[in-house]
Amino acid sequence: MHHLINKHNEEWQLADTQSSDQAQIEWRDAENWQPGQALKLPVDAEINAQWSQASIIGIDFPALTDGRGLSLAVLLRSRLHYAGDLRGLGAVHEDILHFMVRCGFTSFELPESRDPEVALSCIAPHKQYYQSSVVDPLNQFDRV
Amino acid sequence: MYQYTEFDRSFIAERVNHYREQTTRYLDGKLSEDEFLQLRLRNGLYLQRLAPMLRVAIPYGTLSSKQLFALGKVAREYDRGYGHLSTRQNMQFNWPELAEVPDILADMAEVDLHAIQTSGSCIRNVTTDHFAGAAADETIDPRPYCEIIRQWSTAHPEFEWLPRKFKIAVTGAAEDRAAIGVHDVGLRVHRSDQGEVLFDVYAGGGLGRTPVLGALVRSELPIEHLLTYLEALMRVYNRYGRRDNKYKARIKILVRAMGVDGFRAKVDEEWAHSKNGPGTLPSAEISRVEAFFAPPNYTEQPDISDALAEQRLANPKFSQWLQHNVIEHKAPGYAAVTLSTKATGVPPGDVSDTQIDAVAQWAADYSFSEIRISHEQNFVLPHVPKQYLFTLWQKAQAQNLATANARLITDMICCPGGDYCSLANAKSIPVAEALQERFDDYDFQYDLGELNLNISGCMNACGHHHVGHIGILGVDKKGSEFYQISLGGHAGHSELAPSLGQIVGPSIPRAEVCDVIAKILQIYVDLRIADESFLGCFKRVGMAPFKERIYAPSH
Repeated sequence: MHHLINKHNEEWQLADTQSSDQAQIEWRDAENWQPGQALKLPVDAEINAQWSQASIIGIDFPALTDGRGLSLAVLLRSRLHYAGDLRGLGAVHEDILHFMVRCGFTSFELPESRDPEVALSCIAPHKQYYQSSVVDPLNQFDRV
Repeated sequence: MYQYTEFDRSFIAERVNHYREQTTRYLDGKLSEDEFLQLRLRNGLYLQRLAPMLRVAIPYGTLSSKQLFALGKVAREYDRGYGHLSTRQNMQFNWPELAEVPDILADMAEVDLHAIQTSGSCIRNVTTDHFAGAAADETIDPRPYCEIIRQWSTAHPEFEWLPRKFKIAVTGAAEDRAAIGVHDVGLRVHRSDQGEVLFDVYAGGGLGRTPVLGALVRSELPIEHLLTYLEALMRVYNRYGRRDNKYKARIKILVRAMGVDGFRAKVDEEWAHSKNGPGTLPSAEISRVEAFFAPPNYTEQPDISDALAEQRLANPKFSQWLQHNVIEHKAPGYAAVTLSTKATGVPPGDVSDTQIDAVAQWAADYSFSEIRISHEQNFVLPHVPKQYLFTLWQKAQAQNLATANARLITDMICCPGGDYCSLANAKSIPVAEALQERFDDYDFQYDLGELNLNISGCMNACGHHHVGHIGILGVDKKGSEFYQISLGGHAGHSELAPSLGQIVGPSIPRAEVCDVIAKILQIYVDLRIADESFLGCFKRVGMAPFKERIYAPSH
């Protein structure tokens, strides 16, 4: 089992993985996926316009140091305008969450070995950032 | 200089807190070695052969007196009274305690300094010309654009976990003192006839085990598109750069694999989606950042040419220092001064806390409180009124910082090598010391003229040996230290394209390095025409005469 972290009323929380809407996600890979289903992507996937119709998209990180999933997330949000839940899967690490959040991820499967309280405590280490991102169109050059 | 805003300060403070918390988790066993490695690297902390090493970022090599005094304090309180100027304009400390690093970073944050992204596979501290804003051959001051890149690249959410490290350098002068040709991205900033700020973007340059010069991927990129274009380029690298082999993971390998045209087309395709979108720089903002780098309040300076002439006559050493370590400034009556760390017997780039404090004080007294660190590992005081040169020279002499060897053979670039670095195949500092001693005769050095000698202890090439007029690379041959010599490398000039050194022949044991270099110098002296430089001579005669005589059996 893993810990599920998502947002509830704009606050990050440790979700109940047994609840009805989270318990049984049937992930499909891109080849076996239909609109309306849950789509699980590898970090090197090339985007497909149809994917904006997924019920949820998960990106499977092979290692905490693999940043390809971050670019893929940005493309799903900015290029496909995918608006549904975007979930980090695989090698999700508490210290990468804040980068993932700013690339458009909205939920995470944190491996069981990680401490979810630590993850929640470092999910937003900064009040503001230098760059614009898919979750904040303003950068410091716009704000001043 | 750029002045931190409230936002900059709180960001750095938050970062220190976050890193302190990460260090605590590591010490409590909640983060593995491998996990913590990735986090500490991105906060400047290496674990070296003997002890940890902390690399503090000096953004584009520019420091205030106050900041330099704070670095002197770190050298005194946390190191063993030393700091080390790196070839990427940063400052390194060699003996900090891992548990104390968050305290050091908190002290640094007090003076608006940090160690963010000075290592790890992310966008590193941006570098530039150490004479930026001062040099007479400059067309445009690159520092405002370096600052814009610094802000954009700091904790960028998408580009913190790249296939490999990523180095950006910017130049705005005729001579490329930032060596943009050997960076992952090199930017040449210039102005159009209409006054518009434009960038020529080079990509895929780098040293290391596959040295290659960057290719021009976009010319005349208008400033407002700088960040969206860089973002498109970084995205292509982040997605398609190799991650299966760290020796093939730099962008140069990707550019080679895709071909320059293929890479350019891919970046353009990506950029077409983001051009003019968020990240496009508003012109008011460009002006706001540029204003931080307005020239200091130069005052009218007395004509001191007679006094200088007298001082030179009475002090031949001062005269040599003026000739080699002092360059013409944009502003009349001012000069830019190189304070050489390359005195014989001192490892290149090593400076004591006393020296650091002294330089900080001289900057306050004579250079608008501004200091630069050069990639040749020297201090630079960028704006010194000529009337104070003699006094400054006397003070610098007393601190062993007045060696009149800037750009000469003993002003060598040298990585820490096998004495400190766990990557090194061979020692480099003892080689540098032996060469300094061998060629200590200044008349001989002055006769040789401009000559860059660069030494790296392994093929990661931190000593930039590929772009030395003479390059020395330490290699391991069945457990013994050998050295490979190359000739003809050069970082580039508006009239001379950059070039990579060519290997002379088989590597040689350390004991023979000095003799071989002496032979090379003698060959040059024999072959040069009039006042031809070493590089000019090599470009004219080629490798053949050197090869022939270096390996000729002695009689």
